[in-house]
Amino acid sequence: MVSNPLVQLSLDSIHKSFASKGGPVPVLNGLTFDVMEQDFLSIIGPSGCGKSTIFNIIAGLLEADNGSMIYRGNKIQSLRGKVGYMMQKDLLFPWRTVLENVMLGLRVRGEDDTNGVEKARDYLNTFGLSGFEKAYPQTLSGGMRQRVALIRTLLMDPDILLLDEPFSALDYQTRLYLESVLLDAVAKFKKTVILVTHDIDEAVALSKRVVALSTRPTIVKNVHQIEIERSSPIEARSHKNFGEYFHLLCSELDIQTRKDEVV
Amino acid sequence: MSQMLDTSLGKSLIQILSVVIFFAIWQTLAEFGLISEFLIGTPFGIWKRFIASVMDYSLFIDTGYTLWEALLGFVIGTLVGTSIGLLLWYSKWVSQIVEPFIVAINSVPKIALAPIILLWFGTGLGAKVVLVVSMTAIIALIAAHQATKEADKDLQSLLYSMGADRKQIFRQVVVPSSMPAIVSNFRINVGFGLVGAVVGEFISSKAGLGHMIYNASSLYELNSVWVGLFMLMIVGFFLYHCIDSLERFLFPWRNDAGRTQIRM
Repeated sequence: MVSNPLVQLSLDSIHKSFASKGGPVPVLNGLTFDVMEQDFLSIIGPSGCGKSTIFNIIAGLLEADNGSMIYRGNKIQSLRGKVGYMMQKDLLFPWRTVLENVMLGLRVRGEDDTNGVEKARDYLNTFGLSGFEKAYPQTLSGGMRQRVALIRTLLMDPDILLLDEPFSALDYQTRLYLESVLLDAVAKFKKTVILVTHDIDEAVALSKRVVALSTRPTIVKNVHQIEIERSSPIEARSHKNFGEYFHLLCSELDIQTRKDEVV
Repeated sequence: MSQMLDTSLGKSLIQILSVVIFFAIWQTLAEFGLISEFLIGTPFGIWKRFIASVMDYSLFIDTGYTLWEALLGFVIGTLVGTSIGLLLWYSKWVSQIVEPFIVAINSVPKIALAPIILLWFGTGLGAKVVLVVSMTAIIALIAAHQATKEADKDLQSLLYSMGADRKQIFRQVVVPSSMPAIVSNFRINVGFGLVGAVVGEFISSKAGLGHMIYNASSLYELNSVWVGLFMLMIVGFFLYHCIDSLERFLFPWRNDAGRTQIRM
């Protein structure tokens, strides 16, 4: 939609291997791709190709063996403290109430509570969770918990959202609902999103661009632009180009699986 | 009928009834001379001793003495042990060095230390408290250390990605997620507190339930021994329920299914 999108984050030939009994196992073998400003980038690839490893490197939980990351023109070690990380597990703190959970990021930063609480209540209202401020996470449904996790992520006002299969543990209905909640929130707050998913359907319905990865040792196989005008993920699924993109990405992964069988 | 017995009232009735029957059989056997009143005592004799020791306040003094030793030692031991156990999380290096020592110290039955502790700290309250501390501290330490190791790694990662430092991760994740296991261990430790106090009193003392039991048994006053034992049982019961209430109060976010406990 934007004619010439600016690059926000670029990963340049990132290498990472893990130690094992039989010597180091290379996982990322020179991974290179760009993330644009206000991008919605999905990463798909065969399982075990190191999708989560990429996130861990961006978030600063792991260090790359080699390669560099450029963020808005500056070389960086990681985006620790600037990313909002969301995983398949909601990772809510069981001993904190809903309100205390969403305030977590601000508290870690040592920010004043009073402003945050206002904002948190606003978010809880918007996401249909008002009245649950004092509830403990375990009394909520899976979908509600994942919404709380999303609010916690958004409230920190991160530069980039890292979403690691955040909806894959939810039933399809809840998932569709949360996808549209996510798209709305991302549009409203003008966030950049990187989404790791094994679900091609989800990748096409949500993303502006999709990065397809190879099998391990992993490199970027292809980057696909998804040209779908969407106002909601459900509508995107009925777009005339949806099927075409879906098959295109399927064939990306199919080729991988056939290679797998040979190896 | 069977439905009525499945209610909590019905179960309580059966529990009380079985205690009454037990004492009735005991009393009857003693009346007929089938068991020795001299070596075993009788429920009526125990009751008379109980009333007498209540009337001269000696039971309250002895119970208070033992309870105080056990509680004071338990609190100090638990605070010291838990603090060290938690802080060991900070340095993997230090914890790896001290771990074999912790195991070694723990493998000594602490009761065996009683004679030297009494030698060093005298025969008063102090020695019993030290004995209880020696019994409870190492257990609290191990429980806390183990709990920190089991603290959710994903929550720690999440906090780290938010930019938290090690101190924040310790305070926000490691300590709160370790607390349930630590407090649950209080149940065991408060029992060890009583063991330490009573054994200390056995060896040398001027008051306390252990003192009372030891003296009475050396004089063949079996009824007094039983009074002491039943009092210890009540004290233990009471402490167990205190920990139970403490858990409820501290962890309102936990459901009942998650609690390890025997329901009475």
